[in-house]
Amino acid sequence: MTPFHPLSRSSGPPISSWGRNVTNLNKSPFVAGAGLVWRRQSVLWWVFLVNFILAGMGAATFMRQISPMLDQSLESQVFVRSFNPMALSTLLMETHGLSSAGMASACLILVFFFFMLFVEGGLLEVYRLDRGLTKGEFFEASGRFFWRFVRLLIMLLIVLIPVGILNNLATRSSHAMDERSPSPVPGIWVRLIGLLLVLLLMQAVRLWFDMAQVRAVAEDDRAIRRALARAFKITFGNFGSLYWMYLRISVVAWLMMAVLLWIWVRLVRPEWIGVSFLLTQLMLLSWLGTRLWQRASETVWYQRRMPAVVKESEQPTPVPAPVPAPEAQAPDFSI
Amino acid sequence: MLQCAVKRFQDSRIHVSGRVRCVFGCRVVLLSLILAGAVVARAGGQTGTVADAQGQASHALSTRVVAYQIEARLDPVKKTIDATEILTYHNLTGRPLDTFPFHLYLNAFQPTSTFMREVRLYGTRGADPESVWDKKHYGAIEVKSFEVVGQGDFTKRLEFIQPDDHNPDDRTVFQVKLAKPVAPGADVVFKIVFHDQLPEVLERTGYKRNFFMVAQWFPKVGVWWHDAWNCHQFHALTEFFADFGAFDVKATVPENYLTGSTGDLVSTVPNRDHTKTVTWRAADIHDFAWTASPDYKLIEDAWTGSAGTVHIHLLLSPGHESSIRRYLEVIKGALDRFDRWYGPYPYDRITLVDPPQGASDAGGMEYPTLITCGTGWWVPEGARVPEMVTEHEFGHQYWYGMVATNEFEEAWMDEGINSYTEAKVMESLYGKDTSMLDLWGMSASDADILRLEYVTLPDTDPLSRFAWQFMNSNAYAAVSYGKTATLLLTLEGIIGEDTMRRAMHTYFMRYRFTHPTGADFIKTIEEVSGRDLDWYFQQAVHGTNVLDYEVLAIRSDPLDWFREPPSKPKKGVTLYRDTVLVHRKADFIMPVDIQIKFDNGDRTLEKWDGRDRWVRFSYDKKARVISAEIDPQHSVRLDKNFFSNSSTEEADRRATHKLSTYWLFATQYMAQLLAWLA
Repeated sequence: MTPFHPLSRSSGPPISSWGRNVTNLNKSPFVAGAGLVWRRQSVLWWVFLVNFILAGMGAATFMRQISPMLDQSLESQVFVRSFNPMALSTLLMETHGLSSAGMASACLILVFFFFMLFVEGGLLEVYRLDRGLTKGEFFEASGRFFWRFVRLLIMLLIVLIPVGILNNLATRSSHAMDERSPSPVPGIWVRLIGLLLVLLLMQAVRLWFDMAQVRAVAEDDRAIRRALARAFKITFGNFGSLYWMYLRISVVAWLMMAVLLWIWVRLVRPEWIGVSFLLTQLMLLSWLGTRLWQRASETVWYQRRMPAVVKESEQPTPVPAPVPAPEAQAPDFSI
Repeated sequence: MLQCAVKRFQDSRIHVSGRVRCVFGCRVVLLSLILAGAVVARAGGQTGTVADAQGQASHALSTRVVAYQIEARLDPVKKTIDATEILTYHNLTGRPLDTFPFHLYLNAFQPTSTFMREVRLYGTRGADPESVWDKKHYGAIEVKSFEVVGQGDFTKRLEFIQPDDHNPDDRTVFQVKLAKPVAPGADVVFKIVFHDQLPEVLERTGYKRNFFMVAQWFPKVGVWWHDAWNCHQFHALTEFFADFGAFDVKATVPENYLTGSTGDLVSTVPNRDHTKTVTWRAADIHDFAWTASPDYKLIEDAWTGSAGTVHIHLLLSPGHESSIRRYLEVIKGALDRFDRWYGPYPYDRITLVDPPQGASDAGGMEYPTLITCGTGWWVPEGARVPEMVTEHEFGHQYWYGMVATNEFEEAWMDEGINSYTEAKVMESLYGKDTSMLDLWGMSASDADILRLEYVTLPDTDPLSRFAWQFMNSNAYAAVSYGKTATLLLTLEGIIGEDTMRRAMHTYFMRYRFTHPTGADFIKTIEEVSGRDLDWYFQQAVHGTNVLDYEVLAIRSDPLDWFREPPSKPKKGVTLYRDTVLVHRKADFIMPVDIQIKFDNGDRTLEKWDGRDRWVRFSYDKKARVISAEIDPQHSVRLDKNFFSNSSTEEADRRATHKLSTYWLFATQYMAQLLAWLA
């Protein structure tokens, strides 16, 4: 039996919990997912903020390391006027490498990774319910799913092993082609096609595990292997529509990144440091936003396609008396 | 040669030993005078081939000590060459010679050779010490018979020698002792039958599929130099040294193969067995290499300079079409700059070989009138690797090809001087700050890259060290290429760019077609500049001194600092004691300029001889010092850290913020990528 949890389908009014996700059937999950990210943009901002703060701590270490060398040196203008990688290499050598800053940033990248693993349950719950959660609700949901998602992560890594092997095979095929052909072109094509296939395959695997997470949150399913097996059936039983949705968002992410990079490289003058900062942050925000868009769209898709499962799981729980809108309960901390 | 054309932009270079530093004897001076006349005549309008293999004296640019006639047959399946070589050696040593050493370079590619020992010790281009021996890299040259005309068969009397390391397994040099010595002024003729097993391409030579770069492939006699034979074993870090002469080479290859070589094509004769025999001829050169492949596409162009028209032959490999324009543009640009700056290119041809996919180890190498380049399927326009490699190898036509220094012993004189001229030519062609990189908001000059190479290992070895005696391959590259180029750029700052160019021109014109030493080069620089530069060369060439200056502190202290209550500073009124403390951190002593700026707009340029460890400049002024900068012109490029060369009163944190922004972005992005797994 599916255990009860406070934020399960019964915890809020049906319209609120399924809210616009279910009722706005005119919109495709692709569009509805974007709308969901927009409505629940506090999730995006919070995650982005954490990403920024953690990376900022690494950058601060880096800044402390280079500041004594640069701040009162006229030579620092080589970085203001342009970006000379040779001068940067010299700087790194003179600062005796960047072991401490590099180590700090590497650790903080790991911290962010575990943070994301932790809050994944919370943010999926936000999208599932399509309403803001209080701090307590959010972290309660996050904590509840954390170990399940850790187990999913381990399984994901196992599943990715054959993908890695496939990538290795593509590389070897490319090298073999290079050995046979006097032209680099066939080898490059093999490598590019191999990379594309591996990328698409990794996206398919990620989609499968995304759906397992979405399902685990929707069903509060503790049996992760079962959740994964069911997610497999759901994902590959509806592969066309799901994958097309996922891929389109990825393409949007890549396009946005490419356009912003182009603007950064071509239009932003080297000395416009503030503009560079804003543009790079916009890139990261768009990258993160599109990833959340995928999660939101998957949630919407699941809710629309699996209503029977959802309803079934809701039935044992009596509908409680109406409660005030969650936004009104904890406006300060809603996520 | 470029040690690793794409990865590290390194090459092999030389250095001056005490033994080599002695001034060339009268023989060379006299020969130089004779040759200078000959070259002027050539530059005055002669056209056609430099000379034929028989050595027409009136056309000779060099003293032709050797004449090689080789007939070779390539087996494209077995990757072998069977050949006969007739070598005529003119004894111009002034003494009878009864012993002759020969190089057998291809024997280096065997597991027990000195070359491989050194690769295992410290690596070389394209191979690190952990490289696993692969039998496809096996190479060998076997002398089947060795006859001395008039003295009989000496095949059984050939003796392998190991003059450098006494490794009994090294078979890269053999010597033969004749029954009768060759009298001064007389000739001796050797008839040699040999068999080559080419390795899969490594260290400049070999095959890849049906591409053949046939280099260092024939028994080559050593050089009588400084009253002794100079015939070193083939080492992991060394290149070559040989006498000038004439070459008449015939090669039989499959009929569908396109060929290119040192020198000029004389004829192509088809054979009945679906092969063809190609004849080449070249003179006033000291090495001969050739290439063959059915996949080449021939691109022809021409350039006209002070010595006439130079035909440009580009043998392009498939998939590299995007580099055609770039190759031709840079080769013509380099021909032009060298012609105007250093002297005429006297040959009527330059062949560019573009190695195919997988044969990059054959790329980035120089042979007389033939160079191997390096590019990729698609190299962005702003990343000037194909240009740099092509320019570098062309530069070797001057510094190695014509000014034929001993690459075994003085690597800096070909690779280093060539790297210096590479930086100058690249700067002239592609801009001062963008000569190497102008891409996606990044920029770097060739000189920047060479300096970075030097800064990585500035103090391990002096330039004047035999190439195989460097600490390792990185030290060899850092010193022979990076440090030499950087010290010559610094020298340019000392004597002036125009003087430096005149000195290089004089050096080239004086020593082309000879074997000068480092001492000759230094002497020429001092002579043309009219300055005693011994203090500089002793440290830069013969020493391992590191140059590093810093502005340790700047300070403006009100003279009335003791007053109570302290007076409020007023610009233009308050009198300060301004001090600037400059420190020489390392052991290279170099006079430097220090520019000091004050907040009232005053500037002063101080000169310091650098002999003491530090100096303090002091001024009593109604102005505060706002900055001090050592070497404001950035001419002392040997200084290993430019960042400490200046100090400002006020901090400018823009660079720190910019780099931190990049760091922040990279960290955030990496974090988000990793979180994709979550």
